[in-house]
Amino acid sequence: MSIDALAFLPPLSMPTAPTGADAFGAAGAAAPSGQFGTWFGEQLSQVNQQLIGADQGVQQLAAGDVSNLHQVMINLEQAKISMQLVMQVRNHVLDAYRELMQMQM
Amino acid sequence: MDYRNAFAISATGMQVEKTRLDVTAVNLANVHSTRGADGKLFRPLHVSVAEGKTEFAVGFEQLAGARLHGAQVLRIEETDAAPRQLYEPGNPDADDKGFVSMPGINQVTEMVNLSSALRAYEANVVAMNAAKTMALKALELGGAS
Repeated sequence: MSIDALAFLPPLSMPTAPTGADAFGAAGAAAPSGQFGTWFGEQLSQVNQQLIGADQGVQQLAAGDVSNLHQVMINLEQAKISMQLVMQVRNHVLDAYRELMQMQM
Repeated sequence: MDYRNAFAISATGMQVEKTRLDVTAVNLANVHSTRGADGKLFRPLHVSVAEGKTEFAVGFEQLAGARLHGAQVLRIEETDAAPRQLYEPGNPDADDKGFVSMPGINQVTEMVNLSSALRAYEANVVAMNAAKTMALKALELGGAS
């Protein structure tokens, strides 16, 4: 049975299970934490760039040099939401960490 | 969900309404101008608005066949409204019979344009705030209620 309305969706791609020796060998201790840390750092610097951009917009607004007011406000809101997204990711990671720490051995 | 698209779409709407407000202000300011910048009679301006070229649909919306465009100002054109004739013999711009041509600007129409631009701008702000609320609600997923 096929549902026409869903036909445009791409087929689901299931993640393949890691096989062989490199499954646990390569993804050992250092690599995953380093990858996540790098990724998180990149996201954080992107958010920082957004905040700096929004800040420059506000500075220009205060200096009386502004082309359109709503663009400044939209940039501010975007930076705010991005910041909150990063904070939520941090909260979830910390929650997972605490969950692991409280695990009974 | 890319909330930035909703922001960008609303921003195009705000830009258009801002332009409409500016043009209405120009018309209202020139209601008694007997000459334009080019020396001829000032002609009332009108904003032509069209759907924008930029495509905002991404990911799921694009797959579903959505074509999300913002709005854009196509051009600001001069209208051919008939000038009003006013009897002012003392005016240096008066013709032989003492009549002065004033631009055919209807103040009532311009005030209605002003209100409609203002309300449409507010509607864009409301739409953008709704998108922001939605994004912030999505951030509450999984949090301690």
